[in-house]
Amino acid sequence: MNAVEHETQLDAAARAYVTIGMPAEELRTLWQRPDIQALIWADFADLTPVADRTLDWVAHGPAGGEYRWRTETAEVGANEIRWSSLDGADVPNVGSVTFHPAPGDRGTELHLEVKFDPPGGVVGEAVSKLFHVVPREIVLKALYRFRALAVTGEIPTTNPQPAARSGSTDR
Amino acid sequence: MRALCWNGVNDLRVETVADPEIINPHDVILNVRLSTTCGSDLHLIDGLIPTMRAGDVLGHEFMGEIVDVGREVTKVKKGDRVVVPSFISCGKCWYCQHDLYSLCDTSHPKPELPEPLLGYPTAGIYAYSHAFGGYAGAHAQYVRVPFADTDCFKVPEGVSDEDALFISDAAPTGFMGADFCNIQRGDVIAVWGCGGVGLMAQQSAMILGAERVIAIDRYPERLAQAEAFGAITLDYTKVDVVEALKELTGGRGPDACIDAVGMEAGGTGLQQAYDRVKQALYMGTDRGAALRQAVLAVRKGGTLAILGVYGLMDKFPLGVLMNKGVTVRTAQQHGQAYVTRLLEYTQRGELTPAALATHRFSLEDSPKGYDMFKHKEDGCLRAVFMP
Ligand SMILES: NC(=O)c1ccc[n+]([C@@H]2O[C@H](COP(=O)([O-])OP(=O)(O)OC[C@H]3O[C@@H](n4cnc5c(N)ncnc54)[C@H](O)[C@@H]3O)[C@@H](O)[C@H]2O)c1
Ligand SMILES: [Zn+2]
Ligand SMILES: [Zn+2]
Repeated sequence: MNAVEHETQLDAAARAYVTIGMPAEELRTLWQRPDIQALIWADFADLTPVADRTLDWVAHGPAGGEYRWRTETAEVGANEIRWSSLDGADVPNVGSVTFHPAPGDRGTELHLEVKFDPPGGVVGEAVSKLFHVVPREIVLKALYRFRALAVTGEIPTTNPQPAARSGSTDR
Repeated sequence: MRALCWNGVNDLRVETVADPEIINPHDVILNVRLSTTCGSDLHLIDGLIPTMRAGDVLGHEFMGEIVDVGREVTKVKKGDRVVVPSFISCGKCWYCQHDLYSLCDTSHPKPELPEPLLGYPTAGIYAYSHAFGGYAGAHAQYVRVPFADTDCFKVPEGVSDEDALFISDAAPTGFMGADFCNIQRGDVIAVWGCGGVGLMAQQSAMILGAERVIAIDRYPERLAQAEAFGAITLDYTKVDVVEALKELTGGRGPDACIDAVGMEAGGTGLQQAYDRVKQALYMGTDRGAALRQAVLAVRKGGTLAILGVYGLMDKFPLGVLMNKGVTVRTAQQHGQAYVTRLLEYTQRGELTPAALATHRFSLEDSPKGYDMFKHKEDGCLRAVFMP
C-alpha cells in the first residue's frame, strides 16, 4: 500500500491525541513492544504476537460474536508507525501513530488514527454495531492507556474490584 | 468484608462484599481506621450525580493502616498510619508535577466517559460514580489505594486519627479555597457554608492572614463552630446577606468570597438582593443560591473561590463577574499539594480538623450516620465511622 492510498483510507478515521512528557524516541520504542500493544488495546481485543511486526487480534462482540484479523506493521518512520490488517480480516483496518515534539518541556505529541472497515472490507456492518462502542472511544481509550503505562508503568483499573456489584448498570 | 453500599436514591445498606486486593504494582491495601461523611456524598445519595451503580461502596474521606503493599511501593510500608486524599493521583504526569493533583492525567480507568462532557478526563476519585472512575470507597473494613507513594501520607506523632481523617478532604479543600484567595494584609474573606469544608476554609483563611472572616449558614450549631474558630457569623435566613456584607466591609464588599455550599444550596428566605438579581438576569431560583449571592457580594476586582460541587448549571450570572472584573478560581481539591503542610499546622494546634467530628458510629450503623448528617439532626456536622 502506498502513502496516498493510506491517506484516503484514513479519511474517515477515528482519531485521538495526547501529549506525554517523555522523548519521542522512548515512546516509539515502547509503542512497538508487542506486550505493550496487548495491554493498551486489551479493553477492545485480545492481541497475540505472531512475529516481530505481526499481531493477531481477536475482538468480541457483546452478543458473543468473535472477530479475528492479523495486522502487520507497514512502515516505521522516524516520527510515524503504520500498520494494516492482512487479507481475510473479519474487520479490516489500518492505523497509524505519529510522534512530534510538544512545545517547551511538554514532551511529545501523539496522534493515533485508526480506520476500521476500509473500502473493500468483507464485513459491512459498522464497528460500533459489532462491538457496541464507537471507534473514537476505542482509539481514545487505547491512547490514554498508553499514556498511563508510559508515565506510571501501570494502567489504571478497577478490575476485578469495581465499586459496584458485578453486573449492575448506571442509574 | 463489611462495607456501606449505595443501592439507589436514599437507599444505603451495610453489606458483605469481596475484600480488595493489590492489582497494580503501586497499590497498597489499607485497613480503614476511620472514615467520614461529606457533603459531596449527599449529592450522590440524592441521585444528583449520574452513573452511580447499585452496590457502589461509598466513602472518599478516610485514614487507616497499611496492611499490604504492591511490589513497586517504596515510600510507605506495612504498619504505617496514613491519610489519603480523596483524588487518586499518579505523581508523575504533567498535572501532578504542577500540583494540580485532582486533574491527574493517568488515574482514571474510564477516561472515555468524562471526556465528551468535560473535554478531558480528570483524576479518578474514590466512590464518586463511574464517570469519576468507579473506584470502590472507604466506608469499609479495607480499601485499595493506588499510587501509594504519592497518595499515602504518614500521620506524625501528635496528630490524632480524627484530626488526620479530615486532612483527607474537608481540610485540604477548605485550605485550597483560602489559598485561591491570595490573602493580603487587611483582607476580609466571606465563606458561604459552615459544613466541614466551609469551616476548614474559615480556619485556613485565618492561618493565611485574613483580617476578618465572615461565615454564612443557617444552622445555629454550625454557626457556633464558625464563631468558635473566630469568624463573624451571618444566618442567611435572618439577614439580607449582601447588605450585611456591605455593612461589615464599609461598603467595599469582601475581598474574596468562598462558596463551600454547592449544588444543593438552600434558598429559603431569599433576601431582596438575590431577588433583584434573579429578576434582572432571569435566573431560576433553584440550586446555586449561595453562589449567586457570592457573585453579587464580592468586591470589584475581587476573587471568587468555588469549592462547592456543581453539575452543568446552565443559567449563571456571568455578566456580573465580567463587569466587576472578578477572578474565579475553582477546582476539585488538589489534596496532595497541601496534606504535609496541614499535618504540620495540626501538630502545632493552629488547625483543628477534629472539631468537625460531632458524631461517631460503627460501620454497621453508618446508614443511621448518613441520615443524621443529611438532616443535620442533633447538630451533626460530620459523622465518623469506625469499621
Ligand atoms: N472541591 C472539592 O474538592 C470538594 C471537596 C469536598 C466537598 N466539596 C463540596 O463542598 C460543598 C460543601 O461540603 P460539606 O461537606 O461542607 O457539605 P455540608 O452539606 O456539610 O455543608 C454545606 C453547608 O452549606 C449550608 N448552606 C446551604 N445553602 C446555603 C446558602 N444559601 N448560604 C449559605 N450556606 C448554605 C448548609 O446549611 C450546610 O451547612 C459540597 O458541595 C461538596 O460537594 C468539594
Ligand atoms: Zn469529600
Ligand atoms: Zn498524575
